[in-house]
Amino acid sequence: MEYKTSVKHNYDHYKGHRYDNLDHRKYGDKEADVCIIGVGAAGGVLLYELANAGLDVVGIEAGPFWDPQTDFASDELHAYSLNWQDTRLSTGNDPLKFGPNNSGRGVGGGTTHFTGVFYRFHESDFRVKSTDGVAEDWPISYQDLAPYYDKIENDIKVSGPKHFPWGAFNGPYPYPEREPISAMAQVFREGCENLGIRSSTTPLAILSAPFDGRPPCTNRGFCNEGCLPNAKFSTLIQHVPKAIDKGAEVITDSMVTRIMVDKSGKVSGVEFSHKGEYYQQKAKIVIVAAFAVETPRLLLNSACPQFPDGLANSSGLVGKYIMPHSGHDVYAKFDEEIRLYKGTPVMACTQDFYESDAKRGFVRGYTLNAHGNRPLAMAKVTALDAGYWGKDLREIMLNFNFYGMITLVGEVLPHIENKVILSDQKDEYGMPRPEIHFTYGENDNNLIEHGVEKANQILKARKGKPAFVAADTGHLLGGCRMGDDPEKSVVNSFCQSHDIPNLFICGASVFTTSGGANPTETILAIAARTGDYIADIARKGSVE
Amino acid sequence: MVQNTYYPDFDVLNSIKEWDPTTADVVLKRLGPFPPLKFLRGEEEMRLRVIAKHLVYDTRDDIFNWVIHFIDNRLNEGIGEYQREPDAPSEDILVREGLIAIDNLSYKIHQKDFLNIGIKDQFKILSDLQVGKAASIPDWSKIPQKQLFDKLLILTVSGYYSHPTVWSEMGYGGPAYPRGYYRIEFGLTDPWEAVRRNEGDKKKIDKEDSDGV
Ligand SMILES: Cc1cc2nc3c(=O)[nH]c(=O)nc-3n(C[C@H](O)[C@H](O)[C@H](O)COP(=O)(O)OP(=O)(O)OC[C@H]3O[C@@H](n4cnc5c(N)ncnc54)[C@H](O)[C@@H]3O)c2cc1C
Ligand code: SF4
Repeated sequence: MEYKTSVKHNYDHYKGHRYDNLDHRKYGDKEADVCIIGVGAAGGVLLYELANAGLDVVGIEAGPFWDPQTDFASDELHAYSLNWQDTRLSTGNDPLKFGPNNSGRGVGGGTTHFTGVFYRFHESDFRVKSTDGVAEDWPISYQDLAPYYDKIENDIKVSGPKHFPWGAFNGPYPYPEREPISAMAQVFREGCENLGIRSSTTPLAILSAPFDGRPPCTNRGFCNEGCLPNAKFSTLIQHVPKAIDKGAEVITDSMVTRIMVDKSGKVSGVEFSHKGEYYQQKAKIVIVAAFAVETPRLLLNSACPQFPDGLANSSGLVGKYIMPHSGHDVYAKFDEEIRLYKGTPVMACTQDFYESDAKRGFVRGYTLNAHGNRPLAMAKVTALDAGYWGKDLREIMLNFNFYGMITLVGEVLPHIENKVILSDQKDEYGMPRPEIHFTYGENDNNLIEHGVEKANQILKARKGKPAFVAADTGHLLGGCRMGDDPEKSVVNSFCQSHDIPNLFICGASVFTTSGGANPTETILAIAARTGDYIADIARKGSVE
Repeated sequence: MVQNTYYPDFDVLNSIKEWDPTTADVVLKRLGPFPPLKFLRGEEEMRLRVIAKHLVYDTRDDIFNWVIHFIDNRLNEGIGEYQREPDAPSEDILVREGLIAIDNLSYKIHQKDFLNIGIKDQFKILSDLQVGKAASIPDWSKIPQKQLFDKLLILTVSGYYSHPTVWSEMGYGGPAYPRGYYRIEFGLTDPWEAVRRNEGDKKKIDKEDSDGV
């Protein structure tokens, strides 16, 4: 039965070894150079970069080490096991949804079930305060990340257009754009063209030609359910096996519950729970890469006499300034079949509304993605977010093949009241459940209104009849923002905590602002840059 | 009137030999037989079944056997419910106590239990819950109406729209590994995909269309 995963895996992995218990750990009681908490998007890249640099590195991951061939299925309900399903307490005027809508659980993290849409941020994204007078500037610029964007794109052979019209990088991408594009992407591009809006095929972390023994995409459309052919990049299939080959150890099905601190006030390793037993891993450097909710939760839960308010929290900002993207799904009905289930879900986009435009009455902007869908995802947003049930729901869903959809990826500005805190309810590990507060601000709401209107115009321009809008979000970011000022941020530009020099935080949580595009390429680029920095520190023999 | 299927000849399961073994196994298990229920007891199952039927507007018991099994399993596993409001009861309590509350509400309004009032009245109760406007009974202090409605809806929709018969009626091509989809452009279909029929050829699948609910 679907909800009980039948995954039968080993828990301890290193070169030449796979054990179904933790009796043979590579480092055991010994101190590793680096311990990474969470082997997802950022954690996977760090594992690879640091193993490559010759460091003794251990990744500890709460979920399993998936085998795509036996653990993934072309089925939406089955794929819930790839998501972080633990109960989180969600509140505020616009409470966030979790589970399928958010983080991953298991090696690969969110990359096992992400859609593969792979954008760079724009130059302006890093200096929102300087250009628009809101939020904060990042301590890094686009140019700091550019070489890492290049590297990541080349490492995984991103497919994309010869010319991408927006931002500082206009292509070409390492692999050619995918072709043909899906009916939804075609309709979207025609609608844009009729209105004089520029559109493009989407850069994707999905192969358009063979690479590294992996085949090109077969357009099954199940990217969010885990890619069975391995045509879509994930750190599960890309970085982690290579890291293991270079000597890294990965311990899975193990939930880190506390980061340990020594007498001198530095972190000394982690404590984790595996099958009800508690273990420790000592390390010279600890990196928390456990996504935007679990990262602050773990730092707060690791409070100790030296750091009574939680680790890295002298600013009081751990858990603060979380930002989803506004991710409204805008549906229209067509007279002809679109068949949203076919093809990679996102194959066309526009970023014509990305940069601030004083005429619009709000700052910053958004990406619009032509978006495919499968029945359960559509039924769920139609029912829960758009409010249809009974006869109406059935009628809409019997017309599933005639619907088209555009999804907004809108920048949401950071607000201190949007936060992750510890609640007074406990989970199975005895850890306080995270409580997440979220409310849109005025700028966010104005941006959403504009984006939804534009999406409807595009659909109408291609003879779609606007049907309904499902208010949704995606891609949670922030909670341990980076910055130069220790009073206004949690980590520096290399993801090193201001308070504890051998504690690093990486992944979605370090974003200062959210940008108006899908974030994972930026997460990976930041992780690769952090990896370089840590390798450098280690070569010099000190983390001070 | 509810639209009937455009794809009367299509059965997604005709392609099952083309699916990978894990997917085939996962989907076939939804056709039954199902083991005895573990969480739901007494009249809970019957009440939940009627509510689920209304929520997705269908009456076919073979499909709802799966929906009920799915919900029962989910409530029994306690694997995590992604999110809930800080002051809301956990989903097992929300459903269990919620079904009692729905019955109490029905008594208050109709002096009969929920299963014995007419379909129209049952629908009315559900729509009141959706907007949090059901008549006042003590149960609502513990069980938030809208959250109860949303939970019943999401559980039902998750099971129902994962059933292959429902996929077939929608003309959804279904799992496609290893063979993939090739004709993905506007107006094209792969040879095994659903073929649309004209209005007149649509098969009637909703038996309760005419009772005006
Ligand atoms: C349906 C969906 C589609 C998406 N599509 C796109 C897309 O097309 N493009 C894009 O750019 N982004 C997309 N995203 C977003 C993307 O998945 C995330 O931005 C990204 O995965 C975040 O990376 P991360 O490293 O911060 O966290 P994750 O990748 O979530 O990794 C965190 C890991 O930490 C583990 N963990 C957590 N707590 C602990 C603990 N205490 N102990 C041990 N391990 C722990 C988790 O199990 C997980 O594996 C999508 C997300 C979803 C949900
Ligand atoms: S559409 Fe392509 S990338 Fe997505 S799951 Fe299918 S084969 Fe993999």
